Amino acid sequence: MRSLGATIARAAKRFMSSLPALFGVLVFTFLLMRVLPGDPAVFFASGPNAGKEEIEVIRRQMGLDKPVPEQLLLYLYDVGRGNLGKSLMTGQAVTTDLRERLPASLELTLTALLIALVSAIPLGVLAALKPGSLIDHGVRLFCALGVCVPTFVSGLLLIYVFYYLLGLAPDPTGRVDVFTSLPPARTGFLTIDFLLAGDFDGWWAAFRQLILPAMTMALFVIAPLARITRASMLVSLGSDFIRTARSVGLSWWRVVVTYALRNAILPVITIAGIVFSTMLGANVLVEKVYSWPGVASYALDALLSSDYAPVQGFVLLMASIFVVVNLLVDVLYGIADPRVSI
Amino acid sequence: MRVRYSGLTFGAVAVVALLLATQPVRAQSRAETLRYVTGASVNTLDPNVPGTTREAFAVSLSTYDRLVSFGRKQLNGKWVFDLDTITGELAESYDVSADGLKITFHLRKDARFQDGTPVTAEDVKWSLDRAVTAPVLGKAQLLTGSLTGADQFKVIDPSTFEVTLPKPDKLALPNLATVYPIIINSKVARANATSDDPWAIAWLKEHTAGSGAYMIESFKPGEQVIMKRNEAWNRGTPDKSAFFKRVIVQTVPEPATRANLVERGDADITVDLQASDVQALENKGALKVISTPQYNSVTFISMNNTIPPFDNINVRRAIAYALPYDDMFKAALFARGTPLFGATWTDGKPTTSAFPFPQPIKLDLDKAREYLKAAGMPDGFSTTFSFNVGQASTAEPMAALVKESLGKIGIKVDIQKLPDAQMSTQINEKKLPFFTEGIVAWLPSTDYFYRNFYTGNQRWNYSSINNAELNALAQEARFEPDKAKYDEEGKKLNAIHVAEMPQIALWQPSQDAVMAASLDGYTYQFHRQVDYRDLRRK
Repeated sequence: MRSLGATIARAAKRFMSSLPALFGVLVFTFLLMRVLPGDPAVFFASGPNAGKEEIEVIRRQMGLDKPVPEQLLLYLYDVGRGNLGKSLMTGQAVTTDLRERLPASLELTLTALLIALVSAIPLGVLAALKPGSLIDHGVRLFCALGVCVPTFVSGLLLIYVFYYLLGLAPDPTGRVDVFTSLPPARTGFLTIDFLLAGDFDGWWAAFRQLILPAMTMALFVIAPLARITRASMLVSLGSDFIRTARSVGLSWWRVVVTYALRNAILPVITIAGIVFSTMLGANVLVEKVYSWPGVASYALDALLSSDYAPVQGFVLLMASIFVVVNLLVDVLYGIADPRVSI
Repeated sequence: MRVRYSGLTFGAVAVVALLLATQPVRAQSRAETLRYVTGASVNTLDPNVPGTTREAFAVSLSTYDRLVSFGRKQLNGKWVFDLDTITGELAESYDVSADGLKITFHLRKDARFQDGTPVTAEDVKWSLDRAVTAPVLGKAQLLTGSLTGADQFKVIDPSTFEVTLPKPDKLALPNLATVYPIIINSKVARANATSDDPWAIAWLKEHTAGSGAYMIESFKPGEQVIMKRNEAWNRGTPDKSAFFKRVIVQTVPEPATRANLVERGDADITVDLQASDVQALENKGALKVISTPQYNSVTFISMNNTIPPFDNINVRRAIAYALPYDDMFKAALFARGTPLFGATWTDGKPTTSAFPFPQPIKLDLDKAREYLKAAGMPDGFSTTFSFNVGQASTAEPMAALVKESLGKIGIKVDIQKLPDAQMSTQINEKKLPFFTEGIVAWLPSTDYFYRNFYTGNQRWNYSSINNAELNALAQEARFEPDKAKYDEEGKKLNAIHVAEMPQIALWQPSQDAVMAASLDGYTYQFHRQVDYRDLRRK
């Protein structure tokens, strides 16, 4: 119990120490957006008759008529009060947009990561147990294919086969069939909200909608996870304590899973943490192909139209998630290997 | 045991019965639902907010009524909006005074807002005052119809409303049928206005207070809008019957996915597929594809007439004769559209007073070389050709062909692909020498095109042309009451356009509406979106 308390205290301390980095990210993105060519006011004032006057109205609305240092101070003041500004693109507050869209991205990414881990670790272990065998080469081929095929290609391919040809999957438009009524939002994770509301038809609808995009994303990240698992399993299996364990006649399961895998899992956790953060930001193609209302596609649309506030909000959010995930990975380290302390 | 068994049987029968019972109901509600998928998104419920997307325009046409609306006509066997037929929407009828300075609207006495309160001339006055005085998009649009101030709008009695014009303006009435002059329930809007925001712009962005055919059921900006029919709506005509009980407008960013959805019958209609997908779907023949040339639009290659070497008229002519029009038309659009090149003008005179018009220009490299020599640049020059990312699917193949063909006469072209916001910024600052763009006019009359796109130091004058004769003619034509004279002026304007060659018209792309075979009534509208009220299911 005491060690748990100490872990939490240390985690909190580490979180505090990452605050300056977050602040730096905030200021940097703010300045970067202003340096980029492209004037959002001109872009958004593109109605058939929008002239100078409309451009000025939008500029004032966005606060772009003020000098940049003043804009930055105002922005920092707003962020300090939890206000990330307004998006011209959706006409909503950025916090509202992100709050609605982040759970969609998280649900998708977590499911994908789960699928990837559940398939990558056994694959890696199998490949490591018989290096150079047919299984090993099969896994290598599968991984290579997964990485080679860009996600939008595999996404479109899966849609073509499972939706268009076979008709097994529902139409790839968002998180739930348009004709299904939504459960009361509690967590924002539809599969959980439906369960909480006791609506199993709804849960099934949301789950069916989720499975294809999650598979698409998982395919792409199975490779690094499986390769890392294989490599560190090889090291672990070749080490002295495994030889000892084998020599004292421990069961196969105990040797491989309890001793070898537990020792091999550390680098996998590290990679999983990195993979997760990357997936969350980089799954924009999957989100586009499946019309998934997530944060990444939101940020890309905002970037193309130079809509400052959403891009800044998105980067800040991603940086914070990165910090939290890294912290989580460190805590998991401690559980996997008690010698490690954060 | 026996009892439980029969209970189970009973339960199973009940479930099956329930399934059988609900199945037809669901199927029926699907038939009464229109699901429209689009790559763009709806970002506001009030079309007047700066930054409104075109999809939001389409939604506002269903949620709000205007005083009048456009009729429709057949163009080459396809239904399109008709600028010359103005029918009543909230107005039962209207009279134009003999001198053309007064338009009197007689409002429908039975018209009600969606909350059940009657529509009065007071509401009309408040709404139009808002459109011309508040910082909204309507202001600049209504200006083109000489509607500029609140003092022009007068309430005669609760169901009569009068508009006064400073000059008889042909475009005053059509302007009131455009997207912006929506009639708002002024009591509701006023109740939600604040002292900072007397016209309730912030509130109306997220709420509707109209009398339109559809009511908003749910609105998720950037994702979807679901509307249900306003059963009390009685402004419909056989053409605009608002057949569907429910309309779902859904954003699906990937064009291939939209094509799949329509082909599988999960979506009913879409208008923004890639030309190659449209071609494939049309060949399969299971869906209805209605391709209407966007006759109020034009895609062109523009040169900035103030940046050297494009300030030299012979350079502009050289480029016009060096473009591979046919190849570009096929590569970019799969020939889906109306070409605006290769016309023949006997004795060198324009054959039409309409704009856009086919230009008497075709690929002729020898002629291009001659013009280049006349310009004093026989060895050519280097320049950049820009287009925006949003148009990449058509502009990219086109740019490659432009580069190749101009290379033959010694002009070296670098292709520059710009993010949309960056492109509009540079156009606004008049920094791009050579680029492609498209324009569209809601009210496609010749003088309107010339005034808005070829005069003045303003954003939409892409070529920065400043020709005294053209300026004067365009202004004169605006208030020309005599049809024959107007045509004469239109032809003169077109002749100047070809002689000066400020930009090179290429084509009018088709609006490809791909829909389920059961849909009927699709009409190409001035705003280039689907008016959901036009459609019905056979």
